[in-house]
Amino acid sequence: MPFAQALWESLARDSRLVTPVILLWLAGTLMLWPLGSLLLKRMPKDRWAFFTVAILLLSGWFVINTPNAIGFADMFRVDGVTKGFQILCIAAGILTVALGRQQLGALKEHSVEYYSLIIFSISGMLLLVGATDLVSIYFAVELMALCVYILVGYLRTQERAVEASIKYFLLGAFSSGILLFGISLIFAATGGTTTNLERLGQAIALAPGNQDLLVFSGVLMVLIGFAFKVAAVPFHMWSPDAYEGAPTPVTAFMSMAPKAAALAAFIRIFGTGFNGVAENWIAPLSFIAAASMILGNIAAFKQQSIKRMLAYSSIGHVGYMLLGVLAMDSQAGAQAVWFYMMTYLFMQAGAFAIVIYLQGANEGERIEDFKGLAKRRPLLAFAMMVFMLSLAGIPPLLGFFSKFYLFRLAIIEGYITLTVIALLTSAAAAYYYLNVVAQMYFKEPGEAAPPPVCICTKAIVALCSAVLLVGTAFGPWIMDWVGKIVWG
Amino acid sequence: MIMVSMNTVLFISFTLFSIGVLGVLIRRNALIILMCVELMLNAANINLIAFARHSGTVAGQAFALLVMGLAAAEVAIGLALVVSLYRKKDTVQVDDINLLKG
Repeated sequence: MPFAQALWESLARDSRLVTPVILLWLAGTLMLWPLGSLLLKRMPKDRWAFFTVAILLLSGWFVINTPNAIGFADMFRVDGVTKGFQILCIAAGILTVALGRQQLGALKEHSVEYYSLIIFSISGMLLLVGATDLVSIYFAVELMALCVYILVGYLRTQERAVEASIKYFLLGAFSSGILLFGISLIFAATGGTTTNLERLGQAIALAPGNQDLLVFSGVLMVLIGFAFKVAAVPFHMWSPDAYEGAPTPVTAFMSMAPKAAALAAFIRIFGTGFNGVAENWIAPLSFIAAASMILGNIAAFKQQSIKRMLAYSSIGHVGYMLLGVLAMDSQAGAQAVWFYMMTYLFMQAGAFAIVIYLQGANEGERIEDFKGLAKRRPLLAFAMMVFMLSLAGIPPLLGFFSKFYLFRLAIIEGYITLTVIALLTSAAAAYYYLNVVAQMYFKEPGEAAPPPVCICTKAIVALCSAVLLVGTAFGPWIMDWVGKIVWG
Repeated sequence: MIMVSMNTVLFISFTLFSIGVLGVLIRRNALIILMCVELMLNAANINLIAFARHSGTVAGQAFALLVMGLAAAEVAIGLALVVSLYRKKDTVQVDDINLLKG
């Protein structure tokens, strides 16, 4: 059995590259396994949260200790970029579990499935950020997305959750069809020889005949598929609905982890794979980036719901991060996007922690609910102000620093017009972020007594605001550190 | 054996793909939209298999097999979501789900 033997040998050789993923799969499967839940029947359901956090921390440790190498027939590559984004995804997972514990407990919706879906989704992201072949990229994207579709509709007794998950699913499946057809066209353009990102450029050049149209439509369809995944204009219409309808911890999760993973794949595909055919995608991608910045930030102006507002603002932020993809230099781009995504993660986690806290008192959905928070909970209001100002990119905070770094890269690469648009829109965005601050500080609070703050919320809010406040002081040191991580 | 030119394959797969896309955009029944998404995936499968055969490698055919497995998983999740929608709202028409907007 030479085939089986070869398979076994390659598995034995390469499985060390994906130890964190294997660990997550084992844990997720064991959690779903009937026998496992029977054995642990007496355990209170919310202990699964601790178990999940422990597993995620363990897999994070494995990620750090994975050797840098390429494996699985060049389909998966571990390097600095992979590790950096993998750590971001795992951190987002841990923050999500911590965010959701209280609310899910109050709704009596704790279940093993919720946590195992998060674990499976994160395993998909870990694969996605390291994938170096269109095949592995496609399946990793789907593994990540299929779990998130279910998570969005997790509170299936709520009408709006079901509606959000149906909308998200139909558009997501549609976009994955487009993505797959694009991949098949590129495969056709290479004459059916390869889908590997490193070899694509050469294979396209070698293929007989005139392949321009095939390459162009293939690249464009892959671009559309990924624009759907990161919710960039004009393929963003699912995102505000899915954000609003999903349970708030899942909304936080969606705005952090899948975005980080999809952007990493974006950089890898377009920076490495389609580098040689750049004239096909630079103009459409510039348009998508500019449209996301403008439309995302303008649509956020008139939102009443804070979840919708954050959804539109995240569309704008994706527009900024696409500047890093446009940079063509995949290392420098990855570095800037990684740093932006890391600060974004802390800002989002903190802001959603406060939204979830207010939801505990049956409010928090609307921006008006923040009215007078400064009088009722001065520390929380201060932290929310830090998150909002940092999202807006006001100088002393880390959010300014990450924007500055990204825009500087865009200017170096010669995207002057796009950078001007980015600067203008981020100045305009300050209006709706400051609106929340104004509600908290200059409006009188309602009658209701504020609910107690749970320890998880406190911890997350304290951690995130501390990072954002103190981060800038250590700016150069942080940039060195990011450089070390991403350059591997 | 009849040799089919690669342009014919591309034409057929593109036609199939267009039918799928149009179906998703025009039809309002969630189940039919799901079927049209399957058409899109199968259009890609035709390309993958034909070009893998054209170049004499098996990687593309393996990819197509995996895509079929994935399509099954996707349909399983999609149908589950449609069932939960039907239980909630007694309809599978996507025009009737309009709670979230703005």
